[in-house]
Amino acid sequence: MTTSEPLLEARDLRKTFGGLTAVDDVSFTVDRGTIVGLIGPNGAGKSTTFNLVTGFYDLDDGEVRLRGENVADLSPEERSQKGMVRTFQITRELTGMKVRENMHLGGQDHDGEKVLHALTGAPSAREREKELEARAEDLLETLGLWELRDEYAGNLSGGQRKLLELGRALMTDPDVLMLDEPMAGVNPRLTEDLLSMIRDLRDDGMTFLIVEHDVEMIMSLCDKVIGMHNGEVLTAGPPEKVQDDDRLLEAYFGGEV
Amino acid sequence: MAGLDPQFIWFGIVSGSLIALGALGLTLIFGILDFINIAYGEYMALGAFVAFSLNVEFGLPLFVGAIVGALVVGPVAIALDKAVFQHFRNRSAIVLLVVSIGLSFVLRNVIRIVWGSGSKRFDVPIEEAPTYFGVRILADQVGIVVLSLCVLGGTYLLLRRTDVGIAMRAASDDTDLARLRGIDTERLVLYVWLIGGVIAGTAGVMLGLDAQLRPTMGFTALIPIFAAVILGGIGDPVGAVVGGYAIGILQEASVVVIPSEYKPLIGLILLVVGLLTRPDGLFGEATR
Amino acid sequence: MGYASLVVTVAIIAGIYSLLAIGMNMHWGDTGLLNFAHAAFFAIGAYTSAILTTTGGEGLLASRVVGFEFPVVVGLVGGSVLAALAGVVIAVTSVRLEGDYLAMVTLSSAEMIRLGIKNEAWLTSGAQGIKNIPRPMADAFPLQLGSVTVGYDLFYLGFLLVIVAASYLAFTRLSESPFGRVLHAIREDEDVPRALGKHTDVFKLKSFGLGAGVAGLAGALWAHFFFAINPSMFLPGLTFTIWAAVIIGGAGNYLGAIAGTLFVVLTRQVTRFIPGDIPMSSELPFIRLIVIGIALIAILYYRPAGLLGDEERLVAGQMEAE
Repeated sequence: MTTSEPLLEARDLRKTFGGLTAVDDVSFTVDRGTIVGLIGPNGAGKSTTFNLVTGFYDLDDGEVRLRGENVADLSPEERSQKGMVRTFQITRELTGMKVRENMHLGGQDHDGEKVLHALTGAPSAREREKELEARAEDLLETLGLWELRDEYAGNLSGGQRKLLELGRALMTDPDVLMLDEPMAGVNPRLTEDLLSMIRDLRDDGMTFLIVEHDVEMIMSLCDKVIGMHNGEVLTAGPPEKVQDDDRLLEAYFGGEV
Repeated sequence: MAGLDPQFIWFGIVSGSLIALGALGLTLIFGILDFINIAYGEYMALGAFVAFSLNVEFGLPLFVGAIVGALVVGPVAIALDKAVFQHFRNRSAIVLLVVSIGLSFVLRNVIRIVWGSGSKRFDVPIEEAPTYFGVRILADQVGIVVLSLCVLGGTYLLLRRTDVGIAMRAASDDTDLARLRGIDTERLVLYVWLIGGVIAGTAGVMLGLDAQLRPTMGFTALIPIFAAVILGGIGDPVGAVVGGYAIGILQEASVVVIPSEYKPLIGLILLVVGLLTRPDGLFGEATR
Repeated sequence: MGYASLVVTVAIIAGIYSLLAIGMNMHWGDTGLLNFAHAAFFAIGAYTSAILTTTGGEGLLASRVVGFEFPVVVGLVGGSVLAALAGVVIAVTSVRLEGDYLAMVTLSSAEMIRLGIKNEAWLTSGAQGIKNIPRPMADAFPLQLGSVTVGYDLFYLGFLLVIVAASYLAFTRLSESPFGRVLHAIREDEDVPRALGKHTDVFKLKSFGLGAGVAGLAGALWAHFFFAINPSMFLPGLTFTIWAAVIIGGAGNYLGAIAGTLFVVLTRQVTRFIPGDIPMSSELPFIRLIVIGIALIAILYYRPAGLLGDEERLVAGQMEAE
């Protein structure tokens, strides 16, 4: 696949809270069909970067480009509709809704979400719902949640919630899937399955940006790794290169520089 | 502002005093307990009616009635916390809001049963208002302004100088943090209800002095008080008082531009503008 | 005869309040929006329909100049539409606000609307209120159906029940549709549907408009049954009563909303059937409001999901909330 232009590009992102600069001139690119990992010690600014890219925080300065288009002024929902879909670090599944409803919510372009179509039970809405049902069944089976489809999401374990969130995001058929610590709390056996699922999706053309604590996992999974510390990008490149970056090692193990 | 009658400024200071006083009590409670207490309006009415009983039914001087009326509401607020709110401490702000609606139903109708639903007046002589510098100033109004300033000042000292007050401010900024620092938040809650209740009672008596006493008087007064609390930044006593005076004066001054029936609109406009532009309040300190 | 006609009147009140509760349940039960302006939407429906169907410039004071004498059905539709629009307008200013702030803005807005109704006498007759509001098909009654005489009240009750049933079905259908699913997601955690590409603001506006619209319809039906309306019928206490009904019945469940309404209306109206010479009879109106207040608090304490609400959903929802 030709990668003349990055699918997603962050340029000089900056965000301050009060007097504190949480993200300082962060720039990086994510090429189409790759898995990119974002790593760094606690407080490095990974989650803030995530929120800036997806629009949940307003940028103080900088640009977010999706397929070359600056989306910095768009709302989170508009960015999501353009194919950039995220999950949350602390799982935000809708606890008072059933697993199946959580999944269906991810469906895009659904006529049934229009009042009149919903009232009249328009055929287009019913058809779309059927498609979503089939897709949700597939995903739930893969994620091992099919048995739990009629449970309230609030009754799931922490790891199951992570999976549900991943599944719900996949329901939107995203171009870029942004996962905030997707493996936290997921049992190791399932983690392997998930990793291979992510690789398969990548091979089918999906693009990933993943924040993860587990450095080893990131190094084995990702095509490119971005190391952050104190709100800045320290290093970026293929895992083998980043792995040996002294500054990043110092950031992780050396405490304050 | 050209054409602005100083009379309106005086009226504004009077109603500003009432709003500021009410807002001070409400914001203290809001700051610590983190919910909007709709029944606060009834706390104010209760203070007024107790004062009314002593003043009119027992023939005591109004200031005696006023003091007792104001003081009674503190323990009542504590009792209502023990009886009702305490059981909902770990529930969401919205549940507590709805609980306070239920309590407001109960209190307002208890007031109606005890004192009747008609409007009443304190036993104060109705005098011709003397004019100073072209401004008519009633003795009642002077009383309202002076007493309000005393209560506002006293509360300020309490919050700045006493251990309880300082703990209260800390807890208002962050209840969890206060708990971590070993502040006994449950005991603090008692003080907040006591102080907030007494302030509510005082505000109620003042409201009754300014106009008439009705079982719905407190509830009706709530909207500009909410506006002052929000404008000042929730849990910020100084902000609430400044907001209260600002709303009072702007409301009265607005009659130059809009019909006087619509002056309550100013409170709403300030509320909405305040919420949409400065969700952290005038001084931007509140944490929400 | 006396009791029978009272029962019908109480049933009509219960029916109209049920419509209010259905609207409120869309706001609070389905979407998690704190609407404290319901009395204002009710008032807008009542006044719009009354103004559309009566003559202006009538009566002793003749202060009202506006009136259209349209048929009642125009009033019903107009009242619903205008109330829905008012709902959308209020929501536009405030729907981004956090829960309890929204409560304050809507409560204040409702008072302003009432202030406007009270003061714009050219439009609304002010504090006097509007009288002689026409009743639909009033000439046809009493109607002889074989040996049975159907009085007007009974006819109106039947008419109302059809509307309540239709609204119930429509709102339940909406709630169970993909549209309702997005509303529920907003109720649970608005960031999630946003992250999934849903324009939640638009959904909230629609929810507000729909709920306000059905409240407007209720207002119009109220005006046309009781002939006369005035501003004191639309106090915030009405909003709180409907809140009590929805919470007691079980937020999120339309059948629960109606059950809660029945409880509240019966509590308020039961005293009509009690002889006037019992002790404390003059205090009864206040006592029954106290009962509603206590019931509201007790339900929130002992059965937060309400009489018919989904307890399991609530428990599942709370597991995450710390």
